[in-house]
Parts: sequence; structure tokens; C-alpha cells
Amino acid sequence: MAKRTILICTAIVLIVIGLLPILAMILQSVTIDGRLSFAIYKDVLASKSEWILLGHSFVLSILTTLLTTAIGMPLGILLAKTDLPFRRIFTVFFTIPLLLPPYIIAVSWFILLGRDGFLAQFLSRSAAEVTSNWLFGLPGCVLVLFSTFLPVVMLLTMTFLRTINPRLEEAGKTVSGWIGVLRTITIPMILPGVLLASILVFLLTLGEFGVPAFLRYNVFPVETFTQFSAFYDFGAATAFALPLAVITFLVLLLERIFIRKKTYEVKLASEGEGITVIHLGRGRKWFVLPVAVLCFFIVVVPILVLMFQSMSFDAYYQAISRSGDSLLRSFSYAAIGASVLTVLGFFCGYLIHNKAMPFWLSLDSLTIFLFALPSTVIGIGLILLWNRASTNFIYATPIIIIFGYIAQYTALTSRITASTLAQIPYSMEEASQVAGAGWLRRTTLITAPLAKRGLLAAWLVGYIFCLRDTGISMMVYPPGHDTFPVRIFTLMANGPADLIAALCIIMIIATLLPLGILAVAFKSKGFV
Amino acid sequence: MEYRNRAFIKVVSVVFVFLMIISGCRKKTMNEVVVYVSEDQVFSEPILRDFEKETGIKVKAVYDTEETKSTGVMMRLISEKNNPLADVFWANEPIRAEVLKNKGIAARYQSPNAREIPDIYKDPEGYWTGFSARARVFVVNKKVKDIPTSILAYTEPQWKAKAVIANPLFGTTTVEIAALFAIWGDDKAMAFMDDMKKNEVEISTSNGESADFIASGQFAFSLVDSDDAVSRIRQGKSIAMVYPDQGKNQIGCLIVPNAVVLIKGAKHPDNAARLIDYLLSKETERKLAFADCAQIPLHPGVETPADIKPIESLKVIKVDYGEVARKMEDIQPYLKQWVGY
Repeated sequence: MAKRTILICTAIVLIVIGLLPILAMILQSVTIDGRLSFAIYKDVLASKSEWILLGHSFVLSILTTLLTTAIGMPLGILLAKTDLPFRRIFTVFFTIPLLLPPYIIAVSWFILLGRDGFLAQFLSRSAAEVTSNWLFGLPGCVLVLFSTFLPVVMLLTMTFLRTINPRLEEAGKTVSGWIGVLRTITIPMILPGVLLASILVFLLTLGEFGVPAFLRYNVFPVETFTQFSAFYDFGAATAFALPLAVITFLVLLLERIFIRKKTYEVKLASEGEGITVIHLGRGRKWFVLPVAVLCFFIVVVPILVLMFQSMSFDAYYQAISRSGDSLLRSFSYAAIGASVLTVLGFFCGYLIHNKAMPFWLSLDSLTIFLFALPSTVIGIGLILLWNRASTNFIYATPIIIIFGYIAQYTALTSRITASTLAQIPYSMEEASQVAGAGWLRRTTLITAPLAKRGLLAAWLVGYIFCLRDTGISMMVYPPGHDTFPVRIFTLMANGPADLIAALCIIMIIATLLPLGILAVAFKSKGFV
Repeated sequence: MEYRNRAFIKVVSVVFVFLMIISGCRKKTMNEVVVYVSEDQVFSEPILRDFEKETGIKVKAVYDTEETKSTGVMMRLISEKNNPLADVFWANEPIRAEVLKNKGIAARYQSPNAREIPDIYKDPEGYWTGFSARARVFVVNKKVKDIPTSILAYTEPQWKAKAVIANPLFGTTTVEIAALFAIWGDDKAMAFMDDMKKNEVEISTSNGESADFIASGQFAFSLVDSDDAVSRIRQGKSIAMVYPDQGKNQIGCLIVPNAVVLIKGAKHPDNAARLIDYLLSKETERKLAFADCAQIPLHPGVETPADIKPIESLKVIKVDYGEVARKMEDIQPYLKQWVGY
């Protein structure tokens, strides 16, 4: 009974917080003066410029996906499966951009390549124009989003490599070298996982708002935001958002039909079996060099540029005095958001993993769909649904931000929980059931403690995504409750460059420092 | 194992409770005012902080971003018409204030501090009041010898493919074009726009970008806001600022004041009035003149830095901002077509 109640409540919470705002948006867009009308959609579909924008979104997403996949997969193999020197340091470094709001990387490249940037001091004026024009447009967007989403493909490749049974590769090695084994066994086995990562990158790029807005490359999410913000047109904003929602839905449908089954077929290696390591031998240095160069250019250079730009005591003093309050808020909202997401994700993941209710597939699809939906769309939906006097306890308080986090990021904690639960033998729960323990008791005393590593990972991932969130927070934050990434975004309008750079460095420290402290604390306690 | 689990739960609980305390258990205060701001945060926030210090009234603000073309808070105000959270709107130009008036979102308030501000910069019914203005000026690259002095330069053959203007669908450029439609009439204004297009004017994404184009020597001149020009001149960029159409038979330059609006149904009306009075004071105008936004005080006799001309010394376009707001709405389809949107 308790199981049924809690799982149904979880589903209701996700429907109310995630699905209802989207339905409210659609209803608003097809209602003109109380009558059903598709006039707005007709206008959007008939407009040539909207198709051009859709083309922009597609080109950006496809180029970013191809580049991240082409480089992320070999990089993941090198870092997870070989004895490449410094591979752990490289893994940490390559992951950093994913932890930050992507526009921070864009700001850094602007400081370097902009018309009056660092490089302009060494290049001729016309060369600086070329680099600036290159940055403000498609190439710049691809560069920034490539460095941001490269870790998605890299980390998922590394994760899926651990799911391969090493005995298969060892058997392959008896008749072939490592290149043959990689080509015929390893890569084909991780291919569904890599494709999954590519789809994720495609959808994240398709929904990205901050980077194209900053680098002035007009894509669909930016247009949605503009329609909503500049022309005060809810209906048009929804109509603009719908093509993205449809594309997201179709891509996820294809993923479910063609890829999901295959990824489920990959058998998890049992603990202790480990991963077969490829020894690079004398050629190690030739592999280190390109990895180090790539890491230097897409991770180290942007951070160094921000550090150089912000190198004054006054910049940091100004940054702290102007944004200290929003930094504290960001910490607390991210921590609360992550905690709520972990609890919801746990029950949602349990429901999905155990197929505990008939609607498990629908709920799984809903969370993934919401994750892939542009944040601007979710933001508009939340405003439409909760902006009324009777619900001001939500709309006029930080609860609306937490709702936004839940709507967008539950998929992350839910999937991590589902994967974690897949590694816990069902016999443990069965044994306690036979002993007479109820579901709630079994869950809190057996399942949750056994899944604590996964839950901690879910909390950390939830925390990072809440902390770096810009799109939803910017649209819905109540007066006096802006978060740190939003504060950076608003101060960018004519704010001094050293102040903005200092804020970006503080954002990087604010993200990495708590993660480092938690990692050390939990490691010493033996949790990780 | 059990000990570790307990320790884990304890650590997580302590962190959670601590964060709940710092986020939610702050002292509740009703002595506050909620303001939505479309003036850049970097300039407006210090003023609001000074207000907090001087009055003890807590200011809760929502700021705009450049990426929303500084109109995001307008969207919020409109969507919150039946559930207003804001008490005051600080707009960076008066047209938005007019839109709020026309949509029934603004309330009347005539501040005693606004008596000396010229009537042209105030709504006659008291729905909004202007202060600290920007002028629409030319930035001209210093290498250009024959300096343009009129907005009509955009249509002259000698400037073919050498001039820039920010996208007229957004911001103060829209205001300027709508003002031209209001004073010239539709036919003359459309002819001007068409001639400008034939003269191969470059369209930039913002006034700031236009000013950068001129500073880099890519183009000869552009219409921008005076704060864009002054800030770059103070940075040592190679540009000069020219107030256009200052001659005897010329129309003058457009003045774009900030505007402050009391929101209908404001939950803190007294504090809202105090904030409006504060924004409309001479001292606030002096601060905004000396800040990097270099805004022109509308009160007579307010001290200004040397690079800002007093309002009394400028020939300005005499325009009814209410009519400009109406015109702006009318010409939007034409402007979209003009831009190729």
C-alpha cells in the first residue's frame, strides 16, 4: 500500500510540476479570445525566417554532435582503456566545462578573440576582425558547445567500456591485435551507448540558449525567448517552442525504438572483473601530446584567460560585494534542489527499474522529454501555470526555481538511481520481504543504504546542474532571489570586463570547491 | 557498515539543515519595495543600494539582460497584470512606460521631486516620469574628415555602404525610427528608410556593436546612444561624438530619458513613492551623470562631467512619447519587413 501511494505521489508531483506547465502553454497558444485557433501556428509555419532559424538550430546541433562524437569516443577509450600517462588528471580537466554554465566559456573566448581581446593586441586590426567575426557566429558556437559537451560523450564512453565483459576481449585477442579487437568487439559493443551520448549532445545543443544568445547566432530557443520577452507574445513563444518539442519527442522515440533495447542488452561486468587495459608501450608520448594539446586549448586556455582578465583585487572585491548574496542563494537553492531531485529521482528510478507501476514507461519518457526540452520553454510554462494570486506562495518565492529544477533535471537523478538499482541483487530485498519487512522499511533500510553511492552521485549531479542552471532561473526568479549565474548574465550588460571575468572565476571555484570538499569528506568516510 | 550509514545520514542532514537555515530563515521584513529594472544592472544597482542605505527600506529587484533586448521585465510586468509582484518599474526609455499605461498596468503618481523636470519628459496624466536621459548621437571614426551632421547622412551617396545602424526592431533605435514617423509622417519616414536601405546601410545587433564597428574603422559613422559613445571615448577609442541635426532648420537630436512608473495594485505603495521620489532627485541624476553610463540630467543646474552637454544646450526633437509609442506599434510590421525578418 505504502509503495503504491509513494510511487503514485511521485508520478503526480512530476506531472503537476513538469507536464502541466507544458500543457498550459499549448492550451494558451491555441486559444484566442476563448476560441480554438491555430492561427499562430499557421503564421509560424508560413514564415520563411522561422525555417531559416530551424536550419540554424539543426546545423549547430549536427556539427556539435559530430565533433563531440568523433573526438569524445576515442578520447573516452584512451582515458578509460589504456595506460595513458596522467589519464585521471585529463579526465578531471576535460570534465570541468560540463560543470559550468556554457556561456562562461563563451565569455572567455570573447575576451581572447574579441575585437579588442587579448589576441587583438598582437594581431593586426583586420586579423582581430576575422577572429571576432569567426567567434560571433556558427564556428564560435560550435567551439564553445563542443568543449562543453565533449565530456558527455567522453564520460559515457568510459562508462559503457566498463560494462563490457573483459573475457570477450580476451577471447578476441587470441586471434587478433588490439586494433582488431577494438574494431570488431569493443566499439560495436559500446556503439549504442555512444549513440545515446550523441543524441544527448544533439538535444542539449538544440535546446541551448545562453551561448547562441551571447554569440549572436540566432537559433530557435533564442527566438522563443525573444518572442516571449521582446514582443510579449506568449502564443508566438509557444508556437516557436513547439517544433523543438516535436523534434525532441521524435528523436527520443527513435532512441527508444532503436537504441535503448541494445544498451539494455549490454551486460554489466560484475564487480572486481574490471577493465582490460591496452598498453600503449613506447607510443604513449605520441598519444599524450594530442590529448594534452586538446585539453590545453579547450579547458586550460579559457580558464587562464579569465584569470588574467580578472587579475585585480578590486575586480574580486567588486564581484564579491555585488554578488555575494546571490552566490549564497545559488549554493542553497542548488543543495535543496539536488536533495529534492535525489528523493524524487530515487522513487522514479525505482519505479522505472522495477517496472513497479503500469505507467513506468510514460513517466520515464516524460522525465527524459522534459530534460531535453529547452529551459526557456519550461520557464514560460511555469510562469503561465503558477502566476496567480492563489499560488503566490510558489510563484513569488524560490519554490518556483526549485519547481523548474525538478521539471528539467529529474531525468538525471532518476536514471542514475535506475542504473544503481540494476547493480543491487534483488535477492537482498527478497530476503527481507520473506522476513516480513514492509516495502517502506525494506526501501529505507535495505535498498537505499545499498544504493548510497549511486544516490550520492545523483545528488552531486543534481547539485551541479542546479548550480549551473541559467535558462529557467533567469525566467522565473522572484524579486530579490536571483542566482549567481543569473547575476553574471545581468551584469554582463555593460559591466566592466574584469568584473565579469572575476565573477566567472568565482563561479568556477564555487562549482569545483564544494565538489572537492565533498569528495574528500566522503572518501575519508569510505563512501566513495 | 551501520555506523557508516548513520554517519552518512548525519552529514547529509547537517548540510541540508544548514542550507535550509541560510536560505529560508532570514528575518522576514515587510519594509521593502519591489522594483523591476530595465536599466543595466551595473548602473542601477548602486543607486538602489544607496536608497536602501539612506531609507532602511529593503529593495528587491529583478533586472533585465542584454540578450532579451532589455525587455524581459516588461514581459513579466504584463504577464503579472492580475497578480502584480512589482511596486515600481524603472524603464531605460519611456516607450515601455507608455505601453504599461496603455495596458492598464501603470498607476498615477506625480512626485514632488519632478517639478523642475521639463513637461515634455513627463506623462501629462502622471503615469510615468522621465529622468536621467541618453541622447541619440552619431559616433564617427576620427579618421573620417567630412563629419556627418544630420541623420539624413544615412541616405547621402558619399556614405554609401559606410554607415551602420542597430537593428530597428529593438531598443532605442526603434524609438528613434518611430519618432521620425511621428514628426515626418509615414510617407517621408518610409522614403527615408527605403533610401537608407538603398544606400547599403549595415545593420548591427546593438548600439554597442555599432560603436565598436566605428571604433575599429570598419565603418564611418553610426547612430547610437550617448552612453555607448561616452563610455568608448573614455576608454580611449578612436571615435568622436556628434549631436546630430543641431542646425537652425534641423530637427534636433532625440532624447531618451529613463522613466519610472508606479505599478497599479502595488503591495508597498508608500515605499514605492519614496523610491520614485529618490530616483527623480537631483542627486540620483548627478550620480548617473558621473557613472560610466554618462546620462544627461533633466533637472536644470545639476553638476555634470565635462564630456556631457547639459540638456539646456541641446536642440532636441520635440516629440510626444505617447504618440511615439503608438507609432512604434503601428510600424512594427513595416520594420520587420524592412529588416527582412
